[in-house]
Amino acid sequence: MLQVTNLTKTFKDTVAVDNISFNVEPGKIFGLLGPNGAGKTTTIRMILNIIRPSAGTILFEGKSFTKEFFNYVGYLPEERGLYKKSKVLDTILYFASLKNMDKKSAVDESIKWLKKLEIENYKGKKIEELSKGNQQKVQFIASVVHNPKLLIFDEPFSGFDPIIQQIIKEILLSFVNSGKIIILSTHQMDTAEKLCSDIFLINKGKEVCSGSLSQIKKQSGSNNIRIEFEGDSSVLNSSPFIAHADCYSGYAEIQLKDNILPQDFLRSIIDKVAVTQFSIIEPTLNKIFIDAIKRSSI
Amino acid sequence: MNKTFNIAKWEYLEKVKTKTFIISLFLTPAIIIAFTLVPTMLSGHHEDFTKAIGLIDTSGVYYNALEQNMGKNRLNNVQPEYVLLNFAGKNKDFSAIRKSADGSINSGQIAGCLIIQRYVNDSCAIEYRCRETDNIKDLSNLREAFNNTRLELKLMKEGANPSLIKFISNNADIKTVKVERNGTGPHQDFLAMFFTSLIFIILLMMMVISSDGMLVRSLLEEKSNRLIEIIISSCTPNELLAGKVLGLSALGLTQVLVWTLVGGVLASTSAVPPEVFNNILPIFLFFALGFTFYSAIFVGIGSIVSTEQEAQQITSYLSLAMILPIAFALPAIENPDSAFVHILSYIPFTIPTIMILRFNIGPVPLWELLVSVFIMAASIYISIIAAGKLFRVGILSYGKRPSLKEVISWLKE
Repeated sequence: MLQVTNLTKTFKDTVAVDNISFNVEPGKIFGLLGPNGAGKTTTIRMILNIIRPSAGTILFEGKSFTKEFFNYVGYLPEERGLYKKSKVLDTILYFASLKNMDKKSAVDESIKWLKKLEIENYKGKKIEELSKGNQQKVQFIASVVHNPKLLIFDEPFSGFDPIIQQIIKEILLSFVNSGKIIILSTHQMDTAEKLCSDIFLINKGKEVCSGSLSQIKKQSGSNNIRIEFEGDSSVLNSSPFIAHADCYSGYAEIQLKDNILPQDFLRSIIDKVAVTQFSIIEPTLNKIFIDAIKRSSI
Repeated sequence: MNKTFNIAKWEYLEKVKTKTFIISLFLTPAIIIAFTLVPTMLSGHHEDFTKAIGLIDTSGVYYNALEQNMGKNRLNNVQPEYVLLNFAGKNKDFSAIRKSADGSINSGQIAGCLIIQRYVNDSCAIEYRCRETDNIKDLSNLREAFNNTRLELKLMKEGANPSLIKFISNNADIKTVKVERNGTGPHQDFLAMFFTSLIFIILLMMMVISSDGMLVRSLLEEKSNRLIEIIISSCTPNELLAGKVLGLSALGLTQVLVWTLVGGVLASTSAVPPEVFNNILPIFLFFALGFTFYSAIFVGIGSIVSTEQEAQQITSYLSLAMILPIAFALPAIENPDSAFVHILSYIPFTIPTIMILRFNIGPVPLWELLVSVFIMAASIYISIIAAGKLFRVGILSYGKRPSLKEVISWLKE
């Protein structure tokens, strides 16, 4: 388990990360979410011991940082790049050697991964000869080849085509089954929603909300409905039951006021428009995210 | 430690294969050879063919004796260096003779023509007509031969003893010998000394510029593609720094080794003066100190800048600071005891080059050697600490170049 307690980082006069705490458990994907500049990367860098926290503690398996930790962690940064003039296999083996992997198992694992991502025949080629997508695969392999206990992915899907995104998703889920600790930092909410079971939402260095995704959805989502209808949508806007409505052609997503029951609302509009479908929905993570950021900004 | 070694190995192997390295490996000795050998060849080697020199002697008394004296100059101790052609024709008019001599000069048949016009008694006017008036060697040979001839003839006329004449006309030659602590050093001439120093200074410079240039570039590459974040999530910044410096120094050492081999081969064929390899130990000491010092500074700079252009700007200024002592080389050789040279022996940026120079010029007092080494060691210590600090913060700062104020605040962290 990775325990982050009261973590704070101040740069000169700005507080990049402000007293945040969370636990990341093995066997789950932990989503570290937030808009650009929220403090995600700074948090990740502190976990990786690239920069020192101004205050707070980070414990991995109950221990604070030791040099051994370097070998347990795999990191895929948001911005990618490799040694252009170096060969694919050499590059992967170099990164494996920095994780204290012995040569033989490093070669075996590299080949295994190159096969898995279907770029084995490029192993003797220079990085610059590869397409951008294939370069990213090489970098992905470099971050997982040493079978790390803790994996940190910063926007892992950016730059991959949908097919590879699917492969990477499957790989991530297989890591979950093998009990790794995984932190996924992203602002692609739909991806996070599908993969993460725990999330931590950060904005301007502060925690906005955190917990298991289902719980968060339950908390913020009992009063959302989706209604398909024929007729004048202005009826919806004038309804006293509605807190917020997003109207589209033929359907609307509606957030009811706190004390209103969905069936009361349905009763109030059933004579005015022709309802073809009515359902109670969970809010998307995207909506939770936007609402939470808005709330915290006020 | 293991990771430091892995990084060093990677840096070494990846760079040693690059075209830039292979080119510089062979280009540098070529430049050094051009720098050192060509002037030595030009100044030290005599032309190996006999020159014809015309003589117009209106008095008619000098020809035989002068021919004998000129004949003392030999090429490689065998072949006469000059032959004297007598242009004097009794029937011809002087200006006509001179005209025909000028014609021979212009056509290249003779190198020049000596005209001796006797006025009254022993006083005479003498001129040497030639195409290149700056041939100092021919002129000084002629001058010596003529003055000896004139002296001999006068003494003979006065009835002096022939052995006395021989004694008087024999000039003493002064040989310069460099004195060293452990006895008398080998015969040393100015040019050899100058180029000896230059070889080592250029070697140092080339090694700093190529290895440290590579260091800065490799740092910048990793910084710009964020690989640095992966690396320092695998090892400490100090391990990375040590690995890089080690690997690239090994690379520089490879270069120097190859160059020294080339130098050794050249020395064995005596194309390079063997004096180059005197004082090799203290020179090597300052070489190593200088290299370490400049490496630390380059690392510091590489950490601050974030684009290649910025790096080039700053490193070219630094390289200039290092080249600067070469400009002092000549005055330093001419006057090794000047206050100026002594002051430069205490400035860390110039210590390596100046000390390499001074060791070639003459003995350096032990206390001065120790003071220079101490200053160098202290500077290296400070620059490594500073570079390490800049490195730890700088490698993660992207975008605009930090202001001086920010850099100072990094150093204080």
